[in-house]
Amino acid sequence: MAVSLVWRRVALFLAVISVGAFQAGCATYSDSFGLIEQNLAARQYDAALQEIEKQANSKTDRALYLLNKGMVQRMAGDFAGSNQTLEKAKSEMERLYAASVSENALSFLINDATVSYAGDDYEQVLVHLFMALNYLELGQPLDARVEALQVDIKLREIGEKIPENKFTEDALSRYITGMIYEELGEWSDAMIAYRKAYGAYKKYRENYGVPVPDMLKRDLLRLAQRQGLNDELEQYRKEFGIEPQAETDDIAGEEGELVFILNNGLAPIKREKIVSAAAPQASVVVDSREHRKHEVTPMPYMVSIALPYYESRPKGIASARISLLGKQTTTQMMEDIDAIARASLDSRMTAITARSVARMVAKIKIQDVVDRTGRNKDSELAAELLGSFLVRVATMVTERADTRSWLTLPANVQMAKLSVPPGSYTVTVELMSEGGQAIATREYPEIVIKKKRKTYLTQHWVPDMGASLTRRRWK
Amino acid sequence: MSRALHKNGLAILTIAIALTFAGCSSSPQVTRMDAAEVKDLSGAWNDTDSQQVSEEMIRDVLGRAWLEEFARKQKGQPAVIVGEVANLSHEHINVNTFVADMERALINSSKVQFVASSTERKEVRSERKDQDLHASEATRKPMGQELGADFMLKGTINTIIDASGKTQVRYYQVDLTLISLADNRKVWVGQKKIKKLVERSNLRF
Repeated sequence: MAVSLVWRRVALFLAVISVGAFQAGCATYSDSFGLIEQNLAARQYDAALQEIEKQANSKTDRALYLLNKGMVQRMAGDFAGSNQTLEKAKSEMERLYAASVSENALSFLINDATVSYAGDDYEQVLVHLFMALNYLELGQPLDARVEALQVDIKLREIGEKIPENKFTEDALSRYITGMIYEELGEWSDAMIAYRKAYGAYKKYRENYGVPVPDMLKRDLLRLAQRQGLNDELEQYRKEFGIEPQAETDDIAGEEGELVFILNNGLAPIKREKIVSAAAPQASVVVDSREHRKHEVTPMPYMVSIALPYYESRPKGIASARISLLGKQTTTQMMEDIDAIARASLDSRMTAITARSVARMVAKIKIQDVVDRTGRNKDSELAAELLGSFLVRVATMVTERADTRSWLTLPANVQMAKLSVPPGSYTVTVELMSEGGQAIATREYPEIVIKKKRKTYLTQHWVPDMGASLTRRRWK
Repeated sequence: MSRALHKNGLAILTIAIALTFAGCSSSPQVTRMDAAEVKDLSGAWNDTDSQQVSEEMIRDVLGRAWLEEFARKQKGQPAVIVGEVANLSHEHINVNTFVADMERALINSSKVQFVASSTERKEVRSERKDQDLHASEATRKPMGQELGADFMLKGTINTIIDASGKTQVRYYQVDLTLISLADNRKVWVGQKKIKKLVERSNLRF
């Protein structure tokens, strides 16, 4: 009797130890990203792509593999390849629109990461945005327009699905849509898109603290004036406190425009937080092999809940300063993906926690069933303990948080525009620290600016964060 | 001992089998299809739509008065050049398929001639330049002998999407126009409308 109690304690202790060892060794999705991140910081995109390619055969994370691959191809300047990959990602996410019965049943017993990843709402919208930017950099505004229309459909779908969702409008996508329409000479559509962008930025200001960009204000004034919307023009003039500029100063005149986009840093990364506890069971009376009834204290139930949380990644730089033909301008914050991702997880946290608790209850039930089977009078103590031990290990090991997200997204997107006469120029980009110091300078030679056209130029800056990587592993 | 282990063993075996099946995939099955067979998979623009558009357009363009009128006035076949067919829809549609279908049908009808498009012309011209240097006198093709087109074929594809929940109505409208290069007159306007109801499934296995 006393011996069996000791063995039960030993078994429990072993269970806890082995689970600890197993969880430390078994990485969640986000942990596998460290090497890719280092390659991106070193701008070794081929190495990063090779690393990403290792995830190519994952069944449940296929959408993520494609999203990451497409984004890195974009960083490497392979815009056409990036679009091909992202197009595949779109159709994969579309396929996953239908919820899987088997995967969801499995997720109830194991964990949320067994369900195929279909992308968060904001991720599904941003695919279109980055594809549109790819097409713009390729000089294909009509194809970018296709993406702009798809964003509109997607946003309508999201708005209808979850009316209380914070993310029902994507300001930057709307703004880029307006720019595409304007370049194609579709003025009224451009005006509508700018208005929607303005509405979305007002919400951004409220939810994420991102102010309405000055360039949008000027675009609204210019187009309202152009379209003869005098009341609206008056209203914007009052709201913004700026006057519309004369037509000759901007793209409507003889000049072309450089649109510089800074993809700053990397989106936040999901980590897991595990709370484990041993819940003691009440003593039970069992019939032993010697047909003597006695009381035993069964091994406590192991309960474990793993929940995801977002960890921001260091940004390194605050903004970028663009110089061209003696003109200078600094990028402005257009989209705070870090904040959007956090808000999105916050809004889903209740549901994630509820699922986790339900799973825990189910797992306690399983432990109970195994314990009862083990206490059968025919069984030996060793068998009983082994069964109880194994089921506890399984309970703890399988409870993992779903830490999947599109990790190659930037933490935020910034933009700057400069109007210059047509020609071929060298564009100088200085990356500015928080304190306003230039920490790196890059030159882009032979950037061609065409009359009345926009030329798009992107830079994705990923800071080197070797320090944060080691800290993360042993936190 | 044996019974307890037996039960655990059974559970482990079940999970192992499930995982094995989850990981395995069968080799792809290929079935040959007739090019005219209708097979709608995602509801997006596909080969059937392209074929329907080209059939409709070819029937229309060959049966209209502009051809006879041109033949009567100019005594010959009109030369047509393909301009841009702008895709203003919400999908990345390959317009080359039905434009090529139209081109083929029109040329084979022996009523219309086609002039190479501007990108094709560039390639042909560089070849001609090359001939100028390297080809023999007898086979050399001189420059400045190109056939100027009488009409330009231009067009747009537009879509209207109405969606609610898992149901979507997709409406495509393809407009093609023949514009006279001499006086900007539109001599023919062809139109094809396609409407589809797409219902997405809520569940999969």
